[in-house]
Amino acid sequence: MEIFGTWLAAFFTLGIISFLYRDNAWYKLCESIFVGISAGYWFVTLFWDNIHGLFWERITERHDYWLLIGASLGLMMLLRLIPPIGWISRWPLSFVVGATAGLYIINYFASNVMVQVENTLMPLFSAKFGDPLFSASPYSIVGNIVVAAGTFTGLVYFFFSKEHKGAFGGMAKIGIWTIMITFGASFGYTVMSRMSLLIGRMDFIFGDWLGLIR
Amino acid sequence: MKNVPISYPTFFIILPLLIILNSALTAQPEVTPIDSAAALIPRNITAKDFKYDRGETIELNWKPADRVNQEMLDGYEVYRAEESSDSFVSIGFTGPDVTRFKDNGVVSEKRYRYRVAAIVGDVPYLSEATPPASPTMELVNFNLANLFIIGCLIAGAVTYFIGHARRGKKLFIRKIAGLEAIDEAIGRATEMGRPILFVPGINDMDDVQTIAGITLLGRVAKVVADYDIKINMPVSRSIVMTTARETIKEAYMGAGRPDAYNDDMVRYITDEQFGYVAAVDGIMVREKPATCFYLGAFYAESLILAETGNSIGAIQIAGTAQPAQLPFFVAACDYTLIGEELFAASAYLSNEPKQLGSLKGQDVGKLLAMVVIIVGVVAATISQSWNIAFFTRLYDLMIKLFTVQN
Amino acid sequence: MTRGELMAYLVIVAVVLLLAFAVPKPISFSTTVSYIIVGFIALVLLIIFVRTIQGNMVGRRIVFLFVGMAVILPLFMTISQPIPLSPEVKQVYDAVVALKPGSKVLVSFDYDPPSAPELQPMAETFFRLCLSRDLKIVIMGLWPQGPQQAEIAMRKTLEYPEIASKNLRYGIDYVNLGFQTGNEFVIQRMGGDFKSMFPTDLNGTAYDSLPLVRNVRNFSNIDYAFHLSAGYPGTVEWVQVAVDRYGLKMGAGNTAVQTTQMYPYLRARQLVGLLGGLNGAAEFERAADMIGKATKFMVSQSFSHIIVIAFIIIGNAAFFLGDKSRKRKQEAAGGGH
Repeated sequence: MEIFGTWLAAFFTLGIISFLYRDNAWYKLCESIFVGISAGYWFVTLFWDNIHGLFWERITERHDYWLLIGASLGLMMLLRLIPPIGWISRWPLSFVVGATAGLYIINYFASNVMVQVENTLMPLFSAKFGDPLFSASPYSIVGNIVVAAGTFTGLVYFFFSKEHKGAFGGMAKIGIWTIMITFGASFGYTVMSRMSLLIGRMDFIFGDWLGLIR
Repeated sequence: MKNVPISYPTFFIILPLLIILNSALTAQPEVTPIDSAAALIPRNITAKDFKYDRGETIELNWKPADRVNQEMLDGYEVYRAEESSDSFVSIGFTGPDVTRFKDNGVVSEKRYRYRVAAIVGDVPYLSEATPPASPTMELVNFNLANLFIIGCLIAGAVTYFIGHARRGKKLFIRKIAGLEAIDEAIGRATEMGRPILFVPGINDMDDVQTIAGITLLGRVAKVVADYDIKINMPVSRSIVMTTARETIKEAYMGAGRPDAYNDDMVRYITDEQFGYVAAVDGIMVREKPATCFYLGAFYAESLILAETGNSIGAIQIAGTAQPAQLPFFVAACDYTLIGEELFAASAYLSNEPKQLGSLKGQDVGKLLAMVVIIVGVVAATISQSWNIAFFTRLYDLMIKLFTVQN
Repeated sequence: MTRGELMAYLVIVAVVLLLAFAVPKPISFSTTVSYIIVGFIALVLLIIFVRTIQGNMVGRRIVFLFVGMAVILPLFMTISQPIPLSPEVKQVYDAVVALKPGSKVLVSFDYDPPSAPELQPMAETFFRLCLSRDLKIVIMGLWPQGPQQAEIAMRKTLEYPEIASKNLRYGIDYVNLGFQTGNEFVIQRMGGDFKSMFPTDLNGTAYDSLPLVRNVRNFSNIDYAFHLSAGYPGTVEWVQVAVDRYGLKMGAGNTAVQTTQMYPYLRARQLVGLLGGLNGAAEFERAADMIGKATKFMVSQSFSHIIVIAFIIIGNAAFFLGDKSRKRKQEAAGGGH
């Protein structure tokens, strides 16, 4: 059975890779099967985890009747299918948007604004506050300056209440350069990621399937 | 010296004695004198409610005994009993360097007593029991007061500027370079007489990026209606389809040619991410638009779309606030509205008080961050270099303002 | 299906059958052969470079072919590469090594099979390191297939002789709590009570019947957490909720795609250690002195990067130099227009 699974996986892997040459029937077959299976898989997973696991089991076994409120909101969401009363579906949507926004504001504001600003406040020439002057390695000193200047000029670039002219414009230019360098690093990492996936597949084809790799 | 012969009977008496003596010597730690035991017991144990939680934690603090050093200890063990009972049960250990313990196995409003033992070898040196403490729930977390104040400041600025804009006052927003690029790109499609493709991302209208994309569509559609260029807009959400149709129709009515508009300009494809991408790719390859716009929320499809657009030689303008996708757009498109620029462009064009006010309010937040960074870094560096008390205090204040305690 | 397509499929079937049944296994290139292959590829690249400058562009399929070779051939080679250790990887290792035997480690598996090549080696090394140091592992997942990936990694880890000899038992030494839907809301609820989100483990055993977690109420009972992430919900959500709100000490392993976005958290000490992509996995294997697949894959990774860089250089050279030579050609032909 395991051998059958391996051969099947290899069939689909090669089918998808064949797209590199050009679109063909094999690729189309693999793609359609993949789309169909993933839709089915998600349906089954969500049904068993949400409707059965989180709702039905908890109602019947643990008698957690608060869940009925959530379930009725869920039902309202489905009313979109009946156009005359479809507007009711906006209520649960508002609930979800409101609750998520409330949670996100605190989380994002604390983690991505407060903590980040706090950690940008550092003496430029030391490893951390309280350490003697020039205690950091040249590498960290450059790092500190890049972080402080990069954050500041990045903010300048995204400041919309003043024209980018003169010194302010110059700082904005440094800001956008910093952002572009970050994008470059990010792109490099993405190439690395995609290559890793390809390596993983090739290891499967030549190792697990064909057994050519030791 | 004369040799003293040891007789066999003497040997048999000495050997056991030696063995006993030896074992007594090696087992020395077991017979610890009483006074050193007392010296090991942790002191100043306090048990109090852990502040700002749901009433399910008691916090214990203690000090190591004076003559104890960490190498001697194996750690501390914490015992707990309910107020009415004397049976103390072990509830946890800490390392020898930790003199703090959070007990979260307690029930709100019940009263508990604690004992802490210093562990040496396997022997616990137990303290006296603490006075009873009980966990209580606090409704407001005052540790986060700074978060609240700064949040209020920015939210207040947003509200103020929205009101300001609603009263019809002008709010200045700098010119967004991307908008000129949009005009140029449409101009090129006009010259070439080929269609324009507009992709509003794959999220629904509840995503602010999609809304910004649709606002920019309004601008594009206006030019399209004026010069009678063909626009093609495949969408992946039904509500986006309805909104986009309304937007384009309005533009055509504004241009005085409502008859030239038709619903097929905006077509729904599918909600499925890659199904949608495959279809859009197909449209691009077949119709070869002169200009492609990708304005909205994008995920893994960003590079696929931008690459295909590149291969057909289209001018491409992208805009998204998805940080992970921006590098691909920047690399493959002619112009990219980065992050907030997308919203700024949308606010600039729409002149809508909510968008304008939010943008202005956020600028206040950014200004605050910029000032704090400059002042904080300067204060920290100067304080470090010349040890000036004023700058140290300034730095401490900044840190206090931005530290999030949990 | 066209006739050409049919022919191509038949050729592929023939090649597969040949490789599967007729070729002697395993194939392994000696160091000398490996270097000869590398030299040959370099020579072909040089030829392409020269031809491109002369104005003959390479098709995208040629690029695919080279990348394919760069990825596949090193899998058979017997050469290795030095892997320098970066501080963020060492931080994860140091954090684990600093834990006392019996400490509880929470590992959240938030990825699915497509990201396994990058994250699975991290998971395996992390498990092996923890178990060899007698740490207790609590596994969970916010992605439906995460806990299954954990099962695969754990099964493999338990086969190592030094781990197998410990006779570790499920429920006492490690526990798999399974998947829970709800994204960051699950993390939020876990801050109050694990049991409310995981009433049973993956096998349906009640939470309280598992000796390892019976006394684990929330994050304050966890000594270190390690998070494997391939997207949303992922490290960002864990940092925002578990770290910043509940003070969890956490390190993370990420797919390379999102690694750059995690560095601000690392610098702000919201993350204790970060492994980025296959490179991070290989470095972690080196730090722990447990060489595995990631180290082996790194040769392929480096080769493919070299090929990508080579083609970037070729492309740019063609763009800048090729332009001139094309103009010269046109002038020589006497037809400037």
